[in-house]
Amino acid sequence: MKLSALAKKEGQDILKNKIYLGVVFVQVFILLGTFGIALATSIASDPALLDQYGATSALKVGVPDSIQGSQLESDLQKQNLNLTYYKNISDAQQSIGTTLVAVVGFNSTTGQNITVKTDTSNVFYPVVSSKINNAVNEYQTQKKLASSGLSNTEIQRIINPINLQVVNLNENHPANIALDSSYFVEIMYGFIVPFILLLPFFLASNIVTDSIVGERERKTFEVLLMTPISSSMVMLGKTLPILFFSLIQSVAWIILLDLLKVPIYNPLFMFIMLFFMGLGFIGIGILLSMFVDSTKEANSAITIILVFATFILFMPLFIKTSYFTPILNYIPTIIMVKIGSTPNIGPDILISGLPTILLSIMIFGFTVKYFRRERAIRL
Amino acid sequence: MKFTSITKWEFKNTLKSKKFMMIFFLQLSVLFLMIIIFNSFVTNIESDNSVSITPSLSGFASMDVLDQSGLFLKLINPADISIVPLSYNASMSNIAEGKTTGFLYVPGNADQKIRSGQTIDMTIYLDSSDPKSSVVRDEVNSTTQIISQSYSNTLTDSVVPQNTTIPTVKQESTGESLPLQIIKKVMLVILLFLPLLLFGNMIIDTVVGEKERKTGEILIAMPMSQAQVIIGKSMAVVLTISLQVAMWLIILLIAGFHIDNPLLVFIFIFLTSIPIIGITSVVAAYSKNFKEAGIGLSIAYMGIVGFLVVPVLLYLSRKSFIANISPMTIVMRIFSGESIPPTDYGISLAAILIVSIISYWIAIKLFERDDIMFGPRPGILRLIYDLITFKKF
Repeated sequence: MKLSALAKKEGQDILKNKIYLGVVFVQVFILLGTFGIALATSIASDPALLDQYGATSALKVGVPDSIQGSQLESDLQKQNLNLTYYKNISDAQQSIGTTLVAVVGFNSTTGQNITVKTDTSNVFYPVVSSKINNAVNEYQTQKKLASSGLSNTEIQRIINPINLQVVNLNENHPANIALDSSYFVEIMYGFIVPFILLLPFFLASNIVTDSIVGERERKTFEVLLMTPISSSMVMLGKTLPILFFSLIQSVAWIILLDLLKVPIYNPLFMFIMLFFMGLGFIGIGILLSMFVDSTKEANSAITIILVFATFILFMPLFIKTSYFTPILNYIPTIIMVKIGSTPNIGPDILISGLPTILLSIMIFGFTVKYFRRERAIRL
Repeated sequence: MKFTSITKWEFKNTLKSKKFMMIFFLQLSVLFLMIIIFNSFVTNIESDNSVSITPSLSGFASMDVLDQSGLFLKLINPADISIVPLSYNASMSNIAEGKTTGFLYVPGNADQKIRSGQTIDMTIYLDSSDPKSSVVRDEVNSTTQIISQSYSNTLTDSVVPQNTTIPTVKQESTGESLPLQIIKKVMLVILLFLPLLLFGNMIIDTVVGEKERKTGEILIAMPMSQAQVIIGKSMAVVLTISLQVAMWLIILLIAGFHIDNPLLVFIFIFLTSIPIIGITSVVAAYSKNFKEAGIGLSIAYMGIVGFLVVPVLLYLSRKSFIANISPMTIVMRIFSGESIPPTDYGISLAAILIVSIISYWIAIKLFERDDIMFGPRPGILRLIYDLITFKKF
């Protein structure tokens, strides 16, 4: 009863705090912003998606007037490139980096000496380069095979020696994903999802330090400790509302991501992971609160700790070296990626989450023990 | 009494504070951490043929493969996909149970058939219910294209008469690739500007601290204007920042980073710190307590970071003139050794000057108002109304 009264009071304090609520809304903008950027960059870097969305007007390639009517012009047009014709090729080359992404030169009399100049700093460079290469390769092969005397069927067999058939199974339960792009799937599940779902816990560490150090600054902590309630209950009463406030936010972001067509799979296991990680974050916040004297000091210290936490949690997502793989499998963010992106997870993934759960329980347990001994009171 | 006296007090107190010195050196440790991240990114990029900034998750997706010829298995890149050689029935059962994302079937005699010029049929079975099926599909597609291109070239060469004239292709490229520029230039320029955002708490401490400790009245009673108090306190923080920026520059130069014209880089970062501290002073002057100021500062800094970074990305992708409005763009261009026309410097300096004048003017006006210093504090809408109607401003 006493615990519920304290938890209720802490919960009400959080919900009445306009600043905390403001930060929750900031997270919505972060989520929508990162989703939008991921969507835009996925389309901009994928030739097939650019064609599908008809956004090929930005793929501007300068060509000489003399290319008109040639096989090369037809091959370039087949790649959906936006061709701009110039009388003089040197005029076109001057526009590289401003209006043009690339210039394709061509000797129309001989059909030889193709020159390709591209601006690698352009955002559409990878797509344009890939499309020009496809067109030029096709042109070269056709020119070579034209003199071979082979039939059309034989030429096609040489040009396409492999026939890849794609068969989609389980089509009655399709993944409801916003964009069918490997880049989008990798960037969303591989970075943005764990980042967004952990944001509330970064805020939780701040709320914890505010709550405990704030009581000390206002000299109300002594009164709280004088009440007939155990240290463990004080600790739980202060932390549970913060933990639930963070978990509710994370669940809301899971629902919002689902609405944006980035479904998070295994929500129950994800919730369990977040619960224990939240305990760890809050435990660190409480521990820190016991060593500092003011909110100002607590804010500075928690910022630095969160920088290190970000490094430990998110750097492994970008590490390629294979000799780190055994350790990487136990990093909480990597486990979150696997849980969130796999419809049917195996027991190995769940087992790899155990060290995180144990470590979080240890941090929180140590904090409770230390709090009970010291009662966090340094008057 | 001038504002320089306040600057001297604050600066001396800052340097004497053990806690400040601890934070100062902890920030340097953050810099070392950043250098490690930076170097690992550059090494990662330079060791790869293709340049990307996507997460590199080993075993992100999984695929079973039946390829007795070894044609496909020897060429597929298993960076993000764990490849498991398995039989047809076991693989189909794995897909049905959701244990794997895809299954690739390559005919047993594929290697022989393709060498003899016959078309081979490969089949990729994808689990549509798994969002990672596109990762598997794209990887299989790109590997198939590589194999296809290689055999197509070999077969073409074998059937084409030796005296056939083949169109030659000469490829040239200008500029540095965008991802490489983002890593090499944007990350470095962010590192250089980081100290500007790390000392916001100091101005909060000196301004909001006066309110919380109830020493604001004494400060106002001193023989100096509120404008001198705000400018004096701000300049102390600007000096501290310049000290940190100088140290970071020296460390980055020692760590082997290529920075052209470090003195001009330093001057521009120093000048940029003035309006940033001005905006921080506005937050500090309006806030009632540290907690409120801390959150207000976080929101203000998000806007500042956006104003600084977005034009940099705009400049890299479009070489836009207006992108020079961000001093970060100019600093990036200076240390990259670009020749910068005076108009580009001008637009950046004008932005610094205008934001400085407006922010310090607002901070001073807020600090001069008794209702903000001692309460009851008016809301932001009320302040905007006062500003529009020239009341109390």
